[in-house]
Amino acid sequence: MVTSLDQMVNKVLESGKKHRIAVAWAHDKNTIRALSEAVRKGFASAVMTGIPGKIISVCRDAGIDHRIFSIIDCDNEDAATRLAVKLVREGDADVIMKGLVSTDKYLKAIMDKENGLMVPGSILSYTGAIEVPAYHKLFIITDCAVIPYPNLKQKVAMTRYAIEMAWKFGIEKPKIALVGASEKPSSHFSYSADYLEMLRMREEGEFGDVIMDGPMDIFLACDRNSSTIKGVNTFIGGDADILIFPSLESCNPFYKGLMLFADGKIAGLIRGTEKPVVLMSRSETEKSKYYCIALSCLMV
Amino acid sequence: MVLKTLSDLKGIVAGGPRKKLIVAAAQDQHSLGAVIRAWQDSIVEPILVGDQENIRNICAANNYNIDGLTIINEPDTEAAVQTSVKMVSNRQGDILMKGKVGTSSLLKSVLNKEWGLRTGNLLSHFALFEVETYPKVIAVTDVAMNIAPNLQDKIAIINNSVSCLIKLGYRMPKVAVLGAVEMVNENMEATLDAALLSKMNQRDQIKNCIIDGPLAFDNAVSYESAQHKGIRSEVAGDTDLLLMPDIEVGNVLYKSLVFFAKAKVASVILGARVPIVLTSRSDSEQAKYDSILLSAAASK
Repeated sequence: MVTSLDQMVNKVLESGKKHRIAVAWAHDKNTIRALSEAVRKGFASAVMTGIPGKIISVCRDAGIDHRIFSIIDCDNEDAATRLAVKLVREGDADVIMKGLVSTDKYLKAIMDKENGLMVPGSILSYTGAIEVPAYHKLFIITDCAVIPYPNLKQKVAMTRYAIEMAWKFGIEKPKIALVGASEKPSSHFSYSADYLEMLRMREEGEFGDVIMDGPMDIFLACDRNSSTIKGVNTFIGGDADILIFPSLESCNPFYKGLMLFADGKIAGLIRGTEKPVVLMSRSETEKSKYYCIALSCLMV
Repeated sequence: MVLKTLSDLKGIVAGGPRKKLIVAAAQDQHSLGAVIRAWQDSIVEPILVGDQENIRNICAANNYNIDGLTIINEPDTEAAVQTSVKMVSNRQGDILMKGKVGTSSLLKSVLNKEWGLRTGNLLSHFALFEVETYPKVIAVTDVAMNIAPNLQDKIAIINNSVSCLIKLGYRMPKVAVLGAVEMVNENMEATLDAALLSKMNQRDQIKNCIIDGPLAFDNAVSYESAQHKGIRSEVAGDTDLLLMPDIEVGNVLYKSLVFFAKAKVASVILGARVPIVLTSRSDSEQAKYDSILLSAAASK
């Protein structure tokens, strides 16, 4: 079972497979560095779209031989993004990754009905795996980036994506905590009804072989002493593998708080697409981007 | 002045007049430990209201020397709460503290129309967090009291908090209104409120502080993140007070900082006639002690 992001990389390496990454408007130093590391480790190759002179000069500044990458000449970010999407659509790449293009333009190209990467009728969402020193293993969170106020259908989709990721990590029976402000369902909290419905669905086997409970707070989900202190009985018992959040509003500061104040790291992906989509903010570190590339290769 | 750590609270209250601390249903080991420490440090003059025999037994078992401490024997919990609240109402107390009694029954007495502690202000929860990775203490409101505050409530919550910060020695504290994103988005009410609060502050409708929002968590607490996003703001990266959009978000953030970032916390309920210490069972004795100090400072 994978319990850290480095173990996740090892799992990708053990598979012995190499995946092709198409990088949209690849003029970003951290992206190029992360890719060169993935190429060096042998689990990825990269096709970059953008202005070759710029890409080569970023490579040179970073001390990287640009010949390890394929570069396709595009003179603007829209064309470069569309081309990267096309490479994946047509089977010339397995994963798409964002370079310096803005998130809006990148997602727009991916969500394009005719030329994009969406699975028809699917829900676009973000699934992230977090490693933080204060927790004994990885946990998967959703959704800190895409769906502001998920309805039941969206929460169910988010949960399925998270379960798929947990399976890829070798977690056979993931423990899913439905996160709220308290363990008591209440009409004050709009997530309560959805959570109760999800528990019913789990009982009917709609999520497969998983453990699910909620609503519960972060302590009950992640602190092994908490259920004793609170006197609340739950099979999650402070050992959650997956945290489902009621809103982007709560998930986003949760994840950022962990990154900034608790020395956390995240690797995440957009789900609901034909092939894995790497989406990271431009300010992400090289290491985070590297983990994302590995995760995308694991999820292909 | 700005608090660097929670231990700075002691400097603010030490040497001042002892505050009368009324403890409702004081037969609670964790509360008593903190109360007696604050008493021995000459910060408070406690009046313990509750089951005298039980209180004496707990003190004996823990070797607390309580010679000279006032105990009002009231074995019935409800009656102890009423007596405590009425004493504060009759100006016999500067701070009210919850002992072994449920939060809701204490608040019910506090809000009693005849002899309660209403002032016409909204009650709100105010917490100070100390995390290693932020250069100063950060105040957070409201993570525990108001479930889904509207704009008027948010103004009241800011006013309560700013008055408290001023009593702690702050001048023009910097208030970040938290959102999942830093852009105003018409589909996210919290961002609209944030924009209104910022403008109301510019127009002096909310005084004695500098408000900016919406700010995502990373922009609020990190200059680097704010710069990456090109945000021009006096508050970004230097936040003194972080306003939560609702309790759902506040609860998750507060618990994740405590559990994952090992944050130290002191908290108080503001807006009643006196500060109320309303810590929970899971808070450490240190957190309770720091909360008493915070309340003593807030009762100036």
